[in-house]
Amino acid sequence: MTYPLAAERALAVISLKGQMAHKFNWLIGVILGGSSLLVGMALWRHLLDDGSMAGYDWEAMRAYIVISFVTITLAYGGAHGQVAERILDGMVAIDLTRPVDFQRARAAEYIGSMIASLPTAAIGSVGAWLLFTPPAPASALAGALTAVSILLLFPLSFEVVYLSVLACFWTHRYGTIMFARESLVAFFSGVTIPLALMPSWLQALAWCLPFPHFTTTPSSIYLGRVDTLGALGLIAAEAAWVIGLWVAARVLWRHAVKQVTIHGG
Amino acid sequence: MRHTAAVYRHEMIAHVRSALEYPTEFWIMVAVGALSQALQFAFITVLFGNITAVAGWSYHEVLILVGFLSLSTALAGLFWDGIWGLGSMVLNGGMDYFITRPAPVILQVASHHLDLHSIGGATLGIAMAAYGWVGAGLGLAQIPVGLILLACAVVIQSALQTTLCAINFWIKGHMPVFAWVAQDLQNDTMRFPLTMYPTLVRQIATWALPFAFASFIPVQILTGRASPWWAIGILAAVVVNVVVAGLVCRAGLRSYDSAGS
Repeated sequence: MTYPLAAERALAVISLKGQMAHKFNWLIGVILGGSSLLVGMALWRHLLDDGSMAGYDWEAMRAYIVISFVTITLAYGGAHGQVAERILDGMVAIDLTRPVDFQRARAAEYIGSMIASLPTAAIGSVGAWLLFTPPAPASALAGALTAVSILLLFPLSFEVVYLSVLACFWTHRYGTIMFARESLVAFFSGVTIPLALMPSWLQALAWCLPFPHFTTTPSSIYLGRVDTLGALGLIAAEAAWVIGLWVAARVLWRHAVKQVTIHGG
Repeated sequence: MRHTAAVYRHEMIAHVRSALEYPTEFWIMVAVGALSQALQFAFITVLFGNITAVAGWSYHEVLILVGFLSLSTALAGLFWDGIWGLGSMVLNGGMDYFITRPAPVILQVASHHLDLHSIGGATLGIAMAAYGWVGAGLGLAQIPVGLILLACAVVIQSALQTTLCAINFWIKGHMPVFAWVAQDLQNDTMRFPLTMYPTLVRQIATWALPFAFASFIPVQILTGRASPWWAIGILAAVVVNVVVAGLVCRAGLRSYDSAGS
C-alpha cells in the first residue's frame, strides 16, 4: 500500500533529523536572533519612551519585535544551501533521474528543516516573554489568525528561497544570491523597521512584494491593527502569494533546467 | 618585511585578475554588496523621517557612524577576507600547503580570498559617511584624521576576526562560529550610538570585544563628542588586538597536527 506524499514526508523527516543533529546551531540561532531582539528592544525603548510612532507605542512594539524574531527565525531557519550546492556542482542531474517531483521534494526538505528551528524560536520567545512581557493578542480570534499567517510562512519562505536558489543555474556563487535575498527580506518584511514608518511610496512598493507577510502581516493581525475582515484579507493575500510563487517556480524550473549539461556516460 | 608585502600584493592582484575573468559575476557581487548598504541607508533615513535624534545624535552624525562601520568592515573584507576560511583549512589539512611556503602563514591564509561584495559595501559606506560628513558640518581638515582612525578600525576588525577565527584550531569546524557571531553582534549593535544601550552592553562592546574602538569612539572624536586624547586608546586597542591575534595564531599553529590520511 502506498501512502500519499510518502516520499515527501520521508524527505521532510530526514531533513528535520539532519538539522536537529547540529545542536550547536540552536545555540547560535538563539544568540544571533536574541542579540537582534535585544538591540531592537533597546532602540525602540529609547525612541518611543512614553510616546508612539505610526500607532506603535512601547507595548505594541515589544510584541512586534518578538513576533518578528519568531517569524525571521523560522524563515531563515530552513536548510537552503544544499539545493544551491547541487545545482552549482551539477549533482542536480542525479535528482532529475529520481522518481519524485523535484520542487515538491525540495519543499518537503526545506519545511522539514524549518521545523528544526522551532526550538530556537520557542526558547527565544519564552526568554523575551519573561524579560519584556509583551501584550497578549488583540483577541482570541486575532491570536488564531496570527497562527494561520505564521503557518503560511512555511511554504512562502520555501518559495522565496527556492526561486532565489534557481538563479544558481545562471550564476556561479550562491552566497551573493543569499546575501541579496536576506537583505531584501529584512528590509521589506518590516523586520528592520515597521513598514508603517516608511513613506507611502515605499510602503506601496513593499506591498507589491511577498516579503511583508513575513512579519508585518502576523504582527498587524496580532496587535489588532487590522479588523477581522482586514486580517482575513491579509491571509488571503498571503495564500495567493503561496500559490502564485509555487506556479512561478514551476515555470522558472522548466527554463532553468535547460541549463544543465550532462557530460560523459 | 618587503618579501611579505610582495607576497601579499601578488596574491591580491591574482585575485582581482581572476575575479575580472567573470565580469558579470563580478558586477553582480558588487551590486549586491551595494544593495545591502543602500537598504541600511534607507533604514536610517526612514527612521529619521520619524524622529530627530537617537541618543542625542542627529541624522548626519548617525550616517557618519554607519558609514564608518560599513567602510571599515568592507575594507577588512577586501584585504583580510581569507581568514574566514581558516577553520576549513584546519579541518581538511589545507593549512599544510601554507606552512611549507616561505611567507607568514596567517598572511597567506588571510589573502587567499577577496570578498567582492565589499567593493559595493565600501562604495556605499563612503557615500553615507560623505553625506553625513557634509551634513554634520565637518571640514576637509578632519579628513586626514578620519583616514587614520579608519585605518586603525580596519586593523582592529581584522585582528579581532583573526583571533576569533583562530579558535577553530582547537574547536574544529568549517564555520568560524565565534567570528561570525561577533561580526553579527557588531553589525547589529554598533550602527547606533553606544550610549543608547544599558551599561553592561556598553562595557562589553568597549572592553570585552573592542567594537567601540572600531567605529563609535573614532566617530565621537571626529564629531567632537570625545576628546582627541581618546585616539591613544584607539592606538592601544590596535596594539593589543594585533598582539593577541599573533599570540593566538602562534599557539594555534603549534597545536595544529594536520588532517592526516
